[in-house]
Amino acid sequence: MFLRRFLSKGSKEDEVIKDMAHHIDLLCSACKEMHEAIEKDDRSLARRVLDLERDGDAVRREIISHVYEGAFLPYLRPDLCRFVEIVDSIFDLLQETATHYLDVILPEQLRRDCVQIAFLNAGACEMLHISFEAMLRGEDLREKSLAIRIYEKKIDDMKFSLIRDMRGLPVGNFWEGKTLSDFISGLTSISDIIEDAGDHLEIIHLSIK
Amino acid sequence: MKVKEFMTTKLEYVDGDRSVYDAIEKMVDRRIRSVLVRLPGKEAGLGVITARDMVFKVFAKGMDPRTVKASEIASKPLVCIDQETTFDEAVKLMESSGVARLFVCDHHGIVGVVALLDVMAASLIMRARGDHVSP
Repeated sequence: MFLRRFLSKGSKEDEVIKDMAHHIDLLCSACKEMHEAIEKDDRSLARRVLDLERDGDAVRREIISHVYEGAFLPYLRPDLCRFVEIVDSIFDLLQETATHYLDVILPEQLRRDCVQIAFLNAGACEMLHISFEAMLRGEDLREKSLAIRIYEKKIDDMKFSLIRDMRGLPVGNFWEGKTLSDFISGLTSISDIIEDAGDHLEIIHLSIK
Repeated sequence: MKVKEFMTTKLEYVDGDRSVYDAIEKMVDRRIRSVLVRLPGKEAGLGVITARDMVFKVFAKGMDPRTVKASEIASKPLVCIDQETTFDEAVKLMESSGVARLFVCDHHGIVGVVALLDVMAASLIMRARGDHVSP
């Protein structure tokens, strides 16, 4: 693999690359669980997202400690860590969104759009994974980045009408409304951070060219 | 890739006896490229108005969009497909029927729309995934 061949001389680098791929894999699983949870209205699947976030946290710690133990050339380390931190912030937002989903009373008229957005989030995440694999092979990331931006744009297009529709709905009390608002806000913001992660992959890719 | 994966689910409706101007306002406010029209009377059903209809059937003819009814310029019938239709099938249908948008229907009614821009986006995603794109 390009990244490995170009920069790695030992097992620490191999460990980091393997863990980074696993980290993104876990994120994709969490996005898929979130989609399935909303589609099937199954709160137990939302709890799986919380478990996957904890697993992701453990993998992140492994990666960071390996990098600080000396994996990769020093100039590359901050960018690799930054990428891992961005992926971690996607996990955090997914966890927050899943937690809100456990409590939210989701009006049926909003469910279809929420399912679609969760599906698009999973697609964007899959594309991030494809992009990471392509970077390891030293391939051009331009088309992959565009695909991530397409997913993000589609979600953005749905976001405003969803928020507008939500505003027109009656809520029982302040907390019911706040939970619904926080849930929608989280669900529609996940792709923004996936886009940031995709952009950062391009930066890493450029820096090792 | 199936159409349910790349269709747009944002749908807006306007009654056929409302003015074209009402439909324009809806398109601008909701940032959409077409509006479904509930057709009145004998032809009851649905039609669709796009920016193209507005430009060529109203503005280019010097007509006032406030006095033209939405049903007068709506295109009909709609071309409907199932959510499970594949990308290739959808593109072929668009080409053979000469339409720029297909409506995705299930037993509840219309659940989404696939326009040319959605097809282009799907093509780009498939390319990035390394899937075969051959409409």
